[in-house]
Amino acid sequence: MQKRGYFVSLLTGLASELGYQAHYYGPYSAVLDGTLTQMKNLGFVEEGTTGFGIVSGGFEMRRYDYSLTEDGDRVLQPFLGTKEYSVVADAVRKIRDAGDPNYMELSIAAKAYFILRKQNKGMTSAEMLKEAEKFNWNIPEQSLGRAATFLSRLGLTKG
Amino acid sequence: MDTRIFQRLRRLRQLALASLVYPGATHSRFEHSVGAFHLAGKIASALDVDASETRLLKLAALLHDIGHGPFSHVAEPILKRHSDKKKLGDQVAESKVHELISWMIISTDKELARLISDKQREQIVGLLKGTWGHSYLQEIVSGPVDADKQDYLLRDSLFSGVKYGVYDQERLSNTLVIHDDNDDKFLAISIDGMHALEQFVLAKYYMTTQVYRHKIRLITDQMIERGIALGIEEDKVAWLKTLYSFDGSPEYVAHYLEWSDDRLINEILGSATPDGYAKKFFTRLYNRQLFKCIFDVDQNDFPDPNVRNFVFGDAKDFYKPLEKTVAGMLKLDSNEVIAYTIKFDSATRTESEIPVIHRMKTTVFHDESTLFKSVDQKIREQRFHIYAPISFQDDKDQKKRLREYKNGILELIGKMADPQTTLALEGDSTK
Repeated sequence: MQKRGYFVSLLTGLASELGYQAHYYGPYSAVLDGTLTQMKNLGFVEEGTTGFGIVSGGFEMRRYDYSLTEDGDRVLQPFLGTKEYSVVADAVRKIRDAGDPNYMELSIAAKAYFILRKQNKGMTSAEMLKEAEKFNWNIPEQSLGRAATFLSRLGLTKG
Repeated sequence: MDTRIFQRLRRLRQLALASLVYPGATHSRFEHSVGAFHLAGKIASALDVDASETRLLKLAALLHDIGHGPFSHVAEPILKRHSDKKKLGDQVAESKVHELISWMIISTDKELARLISDKQREQIVGLLKGTWGHSYLQEIVSGPVDADKQDYLLRDSLFSGVKYGVYDQERLSNTLVIHDDNDDKFLAISIDGMHALEQFVLAKYYMTTQVYRHKIRLITDQMIERGIALGIEEDKVAWLKTLYSFDGSPEYVAHYLEWSDDRLINEILGSATPDGYAKKFFTRLYNRQLFKCIFDVDQNDFPDPNVRNFVFGDAKDFYKPLEKTVAGMLKLDSNEVIAYTIKFDSATRTESEIPVIHRMKTTVFHDESTLFKSVDQKIREQRFHIYAPISFQDDKDQKKRLREYKNGILELIGKMADPQTTLALEGDSTK
């Protein structure tokens, strides 16, 4: 959710409002985290967890999935026709159209892009791949390639 | 520490008027800043940070609260509202105003410039802003287990006379480690420090519920904020407006640095301020004649999700009409009825994502701790309150009237949340 939120914030121009900061597994927004917890507290969102065991870099992988509850769906209805909703929905569609990477590829893409952007470095796919190699995770080359293609398709790197 | 800007912190109370609840809580930002300085040094030493970076960390911790004004955090919304947005641009939306003032003081104060080089002051501001140094250095001065929190939990607990904020500081500091993932270095905790971190999280939770969000303390904070706001907006007190209208100029900062908690109270109660709301509110605070909480609900009081979202969502534009209607019910001045949502608002990430380093693997705290999730969820729960200047004859009268107020206000909110009522109200207001 943090990574998807990061790309949505870049595509919608909301990046400064979400205040993404460096975190060891990629860009992290306290605002997004707080909002998600608020939504959970209000009974609008449900959280599910799936564990994937330890990857070879020693990091234990766990994915969190979020879905709207019946109450959340009711609260969302009045917003469906609004401009704000369509801007966010468009960004989510662009992410899907760009390959809709899985959580691992999304994490690689988000972290590499965040670091390169912070360092004001060029954003070619090759540079992105070089940056991702430093993560010390045992990431299949195919995943790195898909993450690079994803950034390129979103228009964030130069291909 | 002997600079004028640092000595001023002796005159700013750490917990505003919490002493009206806990009489011992009169400690100041001065001793807290010295404590944060000491703990930043201890953490740096435990992590083997080199001497030059340790000096920067200690100075950043020492100066982190230097831009607080009278009543510190309580007055932040007023500073935000009255700051010159044209001159300051996006800065006001992105940062707290007292932080902008802190960075400006550190960058420009002449006395400080004689003691700390330009480059070092730039690095200190960068550490506080999160733009200089590795992440773990920034996290020592502003992060989930920073020196600031490590100090204020213990200190506020001690001065309030409670034990809720006590945790094993030594163990926590000594089990913090640096997690290097090749791109950056982050503050993490060794698995051996898991329980010290859990104790710290519990201490934060207990202090929040028992001290920081004590029901009387919430009322005093809201009375301070509303009193100052009405002094500026209704009483038109010029000096009060000047004090809270930050414009980024050196003249403003020089003037701001002359103020303290007691001076603000004395000026409001003195002859320089005309009779009005500010004087009325601060006279009540001075004599501890506090408003009462007449409505206290949480999300469970609203089974309809749309009403729940109306009350606890981001839109607060129903506050004024609600305050006006409730004031009508109670035959009070609507400016003296205060609607307020208590929420957990953190600019930095919580303990949730702190890496936990085991011998063969790395996890994160919220996956590792059995108690974190429930405590974290509870601390972030919201409540909605209404405060008003009323009194009760006795306990029986209090129970009866509070029940009546609750039923009446719940019905009123239900009507306000109904889109048909909103449309009708909008129609009325355009007539």
